[in-house]
Amino acid sequence: MRILLAEDDELLGSGLRAGLTQQGFHVDWVRDGVAAERELRTGAYQAVVLDLGLPRQDGLDSLKAARAHHVTTPVLVLTARDAVSARIEGLDAGADDYLVKPVDLFELAARLRALVRRAHGQTQNFLEAGPVKLDPAAHQVWLDGVPVELSGREYDLLHVFMLNAGRVLSRDQLEQHLYKWGTEVASNAVEVHIYHLRRKLRADLIETVRGVGYVLRRDSAPA
Amino acid sequence: MNGVAHPAGRSGLTLQRRLLVTVLGLMAVVWLAVVASIWYDTGHELDELLDAHLAQAAALLATQRLDDLEGDNFPPPPTLHKYQSRVAIQVWHEGLLMVRSTNAPDAPLADHGQPGLSNQKVDGQAWRVLTTTGNEPHVVIHVGELASARHDILLASLRSVVWPMLLALPLLALGIWWSVRGAMRPLRQLGAAVAARKPESLEPLSARAVPPEVAPLVDALNGLFERMAVLLDSERRFTADAAHELRTPIAGIRMQVQVAQGARSAPERDQALAATLQGCDRATRLVEQLLQLARLEAAAARGGAPDGFGGSGADLAALARSLGADMAPQALARDQHIVLETSEPVTVPMPVALAQVLLRNLIDNALRYSPDGATVRVALQPASPGQGARLVVEDSGPGLPPEALARLGERFYRVLGTGQAGSGLGWSIVQRLARLHAIGVAVDRSPVLGGLRVQLSWLDPGHFGED
Repeated sequence: MRILLAEDDELLGSGLRAGLTQQGFHVDWVRDGVAAERELRTGAYQAVVLDLGLPRQDGLDSLKAARAHHVTTPVLVLTARDAVSARIEGLDAGADDYLVKPVDLFELAARLRALVRRAHGQTQNFLEAGPVKLDPAAHQVWLDGVPVELSGREYDLLHVFMLNAGRVLSRDQLEQHLYKWGTEVASNAVEVHIYHLRRKLRADLIETVRGVGYVLRRDSAPA
Repeated sequence: MNGVAHPAGRSGLTLQRRLLVTVLGLMAVVWLAVVASIWYDTGHELDELLDAHLAQAAALLATQRLDDLEGDNFPPPPTLHKYQSRVAIQVWHEGLLMVRSTNAPDAPLADHGQPGLSNQKVDGQAWRVLTTTGNEPHVVIHVGELASARHDILLASLRSVVWPMLLALPLLALGIWWSVRGAMRPLRQLGAAVAARKPESLEPLSARAVPPEVAPLVDALNGLFERMAVLLDSERRFTADAAHELRTPIAGIRMQVQVAQGARSAPERDQALAATLQGCDRATRLVEQLLQLARLEAAAARGGAPDGFGGSGADLAALARSLGADMAPQALARDQHIVLETSEPVTVPMPVALAQVLLRNLIDNALRYSPDGATVRVALQPASPGQGARLVVEDSGPGLPPEALARLGERFYRVLGTGQAGSGLGWSIVQRLARLHAIGVAVDRSPVLGGLRVQLSWLDPGHFGED
């Protein structure tokens, strides 16, 4: 999952990036409010961790501006302001969750997963598409109840497909979801990963929509 | 002032009682003077009037022939007036009492040889007597009047004045009490309004319906409330800001520790641990600065030197040299240079520990907010006649825009976009110290290095001891 981190503190920011990376997120890190708003508005992230006391523009203003532009990305506000009024203000500005510093890495990761899950209309803590089941917390995938070994990228790709089950995703969109900035992406990388997924799971799990992209059927019928 | 707090032992009369006593006392004195004056004047006029009557009666008698008056020829005079019985007549001829009125005593009313008016005492009674000689030789006429008669008239006329006055006194007291009580009502209401307040409610009192004399008090109270509100607000903000500033490094430390715990490689773990250590240093420095600031503010409130900062007379040159050596590694890590320009000792009248805090914060800020490779220049100038010691700390950094210069020194105000983990407390400390020790502070753009220039100037030593 690709996450945007907006935090101006060097120590906390580097810790969050390293910790969330350990938890399986791909983290892009911005250090001021203007950059945070710009990145939020790309819509390329599955979730955002937003500090409020940011230079150049307050995090809340970045959030409000993005929401005004119909950005629906789930946003978890991370701040030292613990007054109830501050929390209410944050949630009313469009935040989906609120954590007061200092935070626990595992709690933060779990909340991010929950936010992403809910954003895709799911209340179960695992995703299902036909015979395929995915547990985001455990990074585990099953086919007909049997665990399947996937590489990191394959898992991420399947996760994106399952979160967007039934929707056609272009290769650009998939790349945006998969790779953080500055990553060299081979032109056929997505095709290669899809090929592996079809081989390890089921050939008809992900269909190619010619000229548009790929789609994972919401309820791919067992063959 | 009943009803409102009225602790025992509060000295002095209530305003109400004081007014009552003063007004009634003055009234009594004035009335006594009036009574005395009436007593004197009326007595005098009465004497003249009645003496004239005596003289008239004596004159009438004097014109009578002695024979007409003698013996049975002189009938007792008819009683024409109730006071008549108080007037007595004696006519003497050659030492013999020839004629007397029935109420007159046998003894002579006065000495025969002394004509004119006199006060006499006969048979235990006081008389006012007019003595004159008759038209015939050896005839002496006394017309006397009982002194008590005059006294009675005087008393009666005084009574008519004094009674209304005595009756008016309690009415007056009641009126004063009632009107003073009414006049004091706004004060009582004000007292009750202040007493009923919660400590945290600081909105102004209403100045309407308050007499002009009380308005300054209400204004003063409102002014006090306003200042307290500002103070409370700044304390509240300080607490919130301090919490924020402490939470962030702690959050960073916690996160780095968890990263180290979950690290999959030795370099990843080492990096996280190094960052943890760095976070601890930062939190330590922040706590130290908070403590310094708290001590300085407590000292400023007390108006003395902060606890634990004894002594006075610090050599800035020596301090700058040792601080420069301390901070050189930190500077070199970012390729920065500290240039120290000082030769002789530069002594300033403040405790060594405080001077060190001052210097450290200035140099630290200059290093922290200057880019890699920057130069920080520290120049000292000893006191000379007519001028105190001067300290200049300037850097080759980007300097500050005017609006940031204006906000420098607000606690936790941090110039954004510097990428530095400062708390903004350093400047607050410098400014507080400067205020405590009457040091002039000027901040502007350095003409030499192009960055920020901070100039501190101590007072001329000749001025010390004045405040």
